[in-house]
Amino acid sequence: MQLKRPPSALHLGLMAASCALLSPAARVQAADSVEQPFELDSALLYYKENSGRVQTIEPVVSLKKDFGDQRILGGTFTVDSLSGATPNGALPSRKPQTFASPSSTSLIPQPGKKTTLYTIVPGNLPQDPHFKEQRFAGDADWSQPLGLDNTLSFGGHASTEHDFDSLSVHTDYSRDFNEKNTTLSAGVSEEYDQIHAHGGNPVPGSDYELYEHEGGQTKTVSGALIGVTQIMARNWLMDLNYTYDHSEGYLTDPYRILSVLDPLGSVTGYRYENRPDSRGRQGLYWVNKVAFGTTVLDVSYRRGKDSWGIGSDTVDAHLRIDLGRGVYLEPHLRWYHQSAADFYDLYLSAATPAPQFMSADPRLAAFIGTTAGLKLGVTIGRYGEMSLRLEEYEQRPSDQSSALPQLQGLNLNPNLTATIAQLSWRLQF
Amino acid sequence: MSTAARMAVAAPSAPDFQIAVRGDALTAVCFTAMASPCEVLLETADMQEVAELARAAAHEAWRIERKFSRYREDSVVSEINRSEGNPVAVDQETAALIDYAAQCHALSEGRFDVTSGVLRGCWRFDGSDRVPEVAAVARLLPLIGFEKLQWRSPQITVPPGMEVDFGGFGKEYAVDRVLAILCTQFPGAVLVNFGGDLASNCAPTQAPWQVGVERPGTDREARLLLEFSRGGLATSGDTHRFLERNGTRYGHILDVRTGWPVPLVPRSVTVAAGSCVEAGMLATFAMLQGRGAEDFLEAQGVRYWSLR
Amino acid sequence: MRVRLPLRVLIGWITTLSLCGCQTVGIKPWQHDILARPAMSLVSDPMAAAIDDHIYFSKEAASGGRNFGGGGCGCN
Repeated sequence: MQLKRPPSALHLGLMAASCALLSPAARVQAADSVEQPFELDSALLYYKENSGRVQTIEPVVSLKKDFGDQRILGGTFTVDSLSGATPNGALPSRKPQTFASPSSTSLIPQPGKKTTLYTIVPGNLPQDPHFKEQRFAGDADWSQPLGLDNTLSFGGHASTEHDFDSLSVHTDYSRDFNEKNTTLSAGVSEEYDQIHAHGGNPVPGSDYELYEHEGGQTKTVSGALIGVTQIMARNWLMDLNYTYDHSEGYLTDPYRILSVLDPLGSVTGYRYENRPDSRGRQGLYWVNKVAFGTTVLDVSYRRGKDSWGIGSDTVDAHLRIDLGRGVYLEPHLRWYHQSAADFYDLYLSAATPAPQFMSADPRLAAFIGTTAGLKLGVTIGRYGEMSLRLEEYEQRPSDQSSALPQLQGLNLNPNLTATIAQLSWRLQF
Repeated sequence: MSTAARMAVAAPSAPDFQIAVRGDALTAVCFTAMASPCEVLLETADMQEVAELARAAAHEAWRIERKFSRYREDSVVSEINRSEGNPVAVDQETAALIDYAAQCHALSEGRFDVTSGVLRGCWRFDGSDRVPEVAAVARLLPLIGFEKLQWRSPQITVPPGMEVDFGGFGKEYAVDRVLAILCTQFPGAVLVNFGGDLASNCAPTQAPWQVGVERPGTDREARLLLEFSRGGLATSGDTHRFLERNGTRYGHILDVRTGWPVPLVPRSVTVAAGSCVEAGMLATFAMLQGRGAEDFLEAQGVRYWSLR
Repeated sequence: MRVRLPLRVLIGWITTLSLCGCQTVGIKPWQHDILARPAMSLVSDPMAAAIDDHIYFSKEAASGGRNFGGGGCGCN
């Protein structure tokens, strides 16, 4: 125990400096760096496919409020304006073909109903040029902690367009273990949709010219997800999710038809497609995020399988390169492969009876999809960020030609290319 | 397009705090901040009251960490260190910390320097024998020197290649601020302890705070038991971070004038003073004196404990 | 050339890889500095992720995986 002496000059100086540092004046000003509770996220998407096909402009606005303690309320609003030509499922032919727009409407003028027809030049892929749709969607979600290591969240979604309405809810629960190095999560969701095509829902599998229709249809989708997130190292985070969903109801696309061809490949008629009324889908999704200094690599692999016989593999990688001063560049590469659905066919043969299920929808065909893009992000002030991303997506189907004489030299399922441009703005306040 | 589910597969790094009861009139709030286990002891058994105070304490600690941590991209310190010679306007709190750094630099005759962080580039105190080359250290000296900064409140200009870091007193500052905030909302006794840096407003009604200061020696734990009533208590230690080569031990307290470790630094110095920043800075000044640490503290007329 | 692995085997393998030694794998609470960066969160750009999910949902047969699709649209 030392004897106390009067404070030295240095000590007095230090006491004064310490008092000044801790004085109320300095204290009060600390309030200007209080947690920013609101986060506004907005984006404008421009999507355009080749050959006059679908294009869309889609503004999205999302607002989140943090009530403190990880209690977060979020809401998103989206408007999707689509237009352009969309393939109707029929094959190109050596002769001109005439269809009704959309395919669910009748070729023959019906009393009191408007009929629009379009004719396809020989050799071209039949596409409905009058496709126009506007979709409004809203989401709301709430997330909060439950005790010390648990989080509960739930949310809902509603969307509406001329021919489709959707309503869904979901809830998720997650728990941290192992000093927050491991997080296990589980969730379920339920979706209810109503499909009412322009001109009425065609009877699936029926003859296109007979115009047999049925009333409004519905479908439900139930989903479940389990996942584990694991911190592997100070700079490496890993996430593994398994998802399963089951759809039940009207799963057919009311606007798609198939060409019925004779053995030479000439068109004898068309049929509406017919898909099974149930579908089970499984997915395994594995993500890794690794930081190398200020550069971050995000690479994921997803394997999918469903009861329609479609298997898929997706590899997706983003590399975020920090250029300093709040600017970053992020190249993106994605590779996707899917196998065709069991009931997918380019066309139906007039010689054989129609199968139970059939579809010529290119989205159920076997193809490889590749995406390459670049994003540039810039920090604005202390709480904002703007970014621009430009990407090219290309789909290359594996089945593009046929041996049938009339179809020689015709591209039956052309490649699809699309440009994706997105401008985003994020602000915290 | 719901993104809510992603919150369930959430970042596991969301911080939180725990509340535990210690004895019949003492509650402890525990959390992690600034790479240390933090605890706040309150003389009360009212859990409702504690929950509110706990939130205030933890959030203040995390706020300071978020704002001044050199590890965080979005901190004020990172913003200043990224400025590449351009002036940066800072707010009043940051200005107060820079002023304090300036005064401590002057009071310590240049030994205490918040720009010394660049020496991390050649000194890695991991217990190995990888002592840097003299030339490598000499190359960094031009990038050190608080006097080379241009500080005219509220603008600070850090020349390219130089950096500032408040790690030398950031934790002590957080301790004092958390104590100040709690004192405005709680009438009883409070002890704030962030990894060994303490501050208290007054002793509990029963008896003074019993504080054990860990001071690991080479072959025994020389634990210091103190009775602590009010003020600040801080410990500066040299035991874990060092290099050893050819029998010479290089401690991690560096003399910024040469770029080399201060020789003959005590293993541990604990100082009691009016506030935690004051105690911490006295302990740091003492370590910077090396051989003369104890004489220095004697001359200041403060209560201290040192271990060699 | 593609390696075809039954889904069940793949789940087992990857899960074991992530969960085994999960008591020893991990970091201390004060080592969260890098992971605390916004760029290191699992979904660092929720807007782009949601927009991409929607684009690929309407152009491909597989969908989601990361979270729930949050409702459908008439496009698939």
